[in-house]
Amino acid sequence: MDEEYDVIVLGTGLKECILSGLLSVDGLKVLHMDRNDYYGGESTSLNLIQLWKRFRGDDKPPPHLGASRDYNIDMNPKFIMANGNLVRVLIHTDVTKYLYFKAVDGSYVFNKGKVHKVPANDMEALKSPLMGLFEKRRARKFFIYVQNYNESDPKTHEGMDLTRVTTKELIAKYGLDDNTIDFIGHALALHSDDRYLAEPALDTVKRMKLYAESLARFQGGSPYIYPLYGLGELPQAFARLSAVYGGTYMLNKPECKVEFDEEGKVVGVTSEGETAKCKKVVCDPSYLPGKVRKVGRVARAIAIMSHPIPSTDDSHSVQIILPQKQLGRKSDMYLFCCSYTHNVAPKGKFIAFVSTEAETDQPAIELKPGIDLLGPVDEIFFDIYDRYEPVNEPTLDNCFISTSYDATTHFESTVDDVLNMYTLITGKVIDLSVDLSAASAAEE
Amino acid sequence: MAENGEGGEEYLFKIVLIGDSAVGKSNLLSRFARNEFDSNSKATIGVEFQTQLVEIDGKEIKAQIWDTAGQERFRAVTSAYYRGAVGALVVYDISRRGTFDSIKRWLQELTTQNDSTVARMLVGNKCDLENIREVSTEEGKSLAEEEGLFFMETSALDATNVQTAFEIVIREIYNNISRKVLNSDSYKAELSVNRVSLVNGAGSKQGPSCCSR
Repeated sequence: MDEEYDVIVLGTGLKECILSGLLSVDGLKVLHMDRNDYYGGESTSLNLIQLWKRFRGDDKPPPHLGASRDYNIDMNPKFIMANGNLVRVLIHTDVTKYLYFKAVDGSYVFNKGKVHKVPANDMEALKSPLMGLFEKRRARKFFIYVQNYNESDPKTHEGMDLTRVTTKELIAKYGLDDNTIDFIGHALALHSDDRYLAEPALDTVKRMKLYAESLARFQGGSPYIYPLYGLGELPQAFARLSAVYGGTYMLNKPECKVEFDEEGKVVGVTSEGETAKCKKVVCDPSYLPGKVRKVGRVARAIAIMSHPIPSTDDSHSVQIILPQKQLGRKSDMYLFCCSYTHNVAPKGKFIAFVSTEAETDQPAIELKPGIDLLGPVDEIFFDIYDRYEPVNEPTLDNCFISTSYDATTHFESTVDDVLNMYTLITGKVIDLSVDLSAASAAEE
Repeated sequence: MAENGEGGEEYLFKIVLIGDSAVGKSNLLSRFARNEFDSNSKATIGVEFQTQLVEIDGKEIKAQIWDTAGQERFRAVTSAYYRGAVGALVVYDISRRGTFDSIKRWLQELTTQNDSTVARMLVGNKCDLENIREVSTEEGKSLAEEEGLFFMETSALDATNVQTAFEIVIREIYNNISRKVLNSDSYKAELSVNRVSLVNGAGSKQGPSCCSR
């Protein structure tokens, strides 16, 4: 330290590491610090000893669970949309060379007390009990409309301006019933509540297109991919990118204190008695608590199991969406399961997560509908944490604070936040329109 | 990582370089891979990993050798760096005692992060600086024996022993892999199943997954 940097990044969460990588590639001099002795911050993956320390207050996991090192338990479980923004960023930065991915086996939805596979192809769609036969015909017409819709080609709009027509109005035109609407909105467009119905339909149509494109990308059982060894690999991969382009990394730096001048503009960061000067600070909410406000809470259960989730056709990696209406809640609940096949647990072990936007102070009770779907569990842990968003004015203080990770099942909102921050920090916009078809590849 | 592919035999071994800053890890790598030496002592920037083809017993082996990208300077090497490595060169500078004293910490980190390294070598680099030597050859050899490592002193500057050091590690990995293939664990092969690639084409450096650990 005691040097001068263009940008000091605090916290090695995924957002901060992506930004660190992008800024270093741009030629900025970057210092990246974290108070922990591991990478990832709130988006890290923990081994078994770390998990026990965090949730049980000791470092003595039972030996029968296997080697601590074999566990990579995500603290922010999400899958990656195969055609989504995070994949585009990975390709844009060439960070894919540090990572390995596998397709996720299946995507399921909870409906009327049962778990159903979200159809991955026409054959599955025909057989699915989620809709009756006539409803399937009406839905098919809607899906064809969505598939053909091209924002820049008015001929595909069929006379509707989707920046004005609401989702409800659009769906009403196709005569779909409430159950189908629920399925489309939550299991395909991946909305977590029902506000989308009263909003312009364009967002929902785009989301449905993303789902279909992601499904087609690797022609697997779901639209998702997921890295071997867990999501903690992602921040580390971007951190390496930053380091390769000159970024300096320091872990285990307690009390990173941001210093300001008399005008309230950032001038540097002090840790362990040394101050590094900088023009800008990028950080997660925990490093500048006075400049953020609470916007919600996430409740989560983490379970170690010795079997796949029942009714998922023995899937080793799976997502189950429990739409809010099915549960009588304000937000959807999500089950996320991965296993030894993705190298996040020893052979025979599965890691499952139940997540939702918290509506009570009692996660164990609140998450019960999801936990009940898991079957027997070897160990279970509960967590509830606040979500924050920045309230400062970056043009005044040169502090750029990321928004906390939400409970969504994927990374689209995460990457949106990163791209917005990048533009605020640099004044530039990243062109992510990589030619995905050229980047497509068959399963190896 | 190392994988014995189906059909034609094809090996890819991940080997990592570890050790304190400025002991010459990057120059060892560039000397071995490109027969180059950069006398600019600036910290490692822009170095990724190098893939080098080596022939052993008539087999063609790809050695994928990783450099730290400078993250070791403030003890911030990622756990992902060690992931799947089957070989490691643990490097110190014979003209700086402190870098030798750090070796045990580096070995500890390597062991904590990865239990699949089958070939580990202690490397005393910069042996061209005999006149300002601070670590004797005997001390290096003794520590290596104590820890069960291969040992070699090298000079990336004048290319002394660099090729030999890497080849010893690669050969040791190969010998171990050959043994393991005879006792193959079908579980390990599962790691390759259903893996997807985000990029395609000749330029891709993406390798197969780990199958030995």
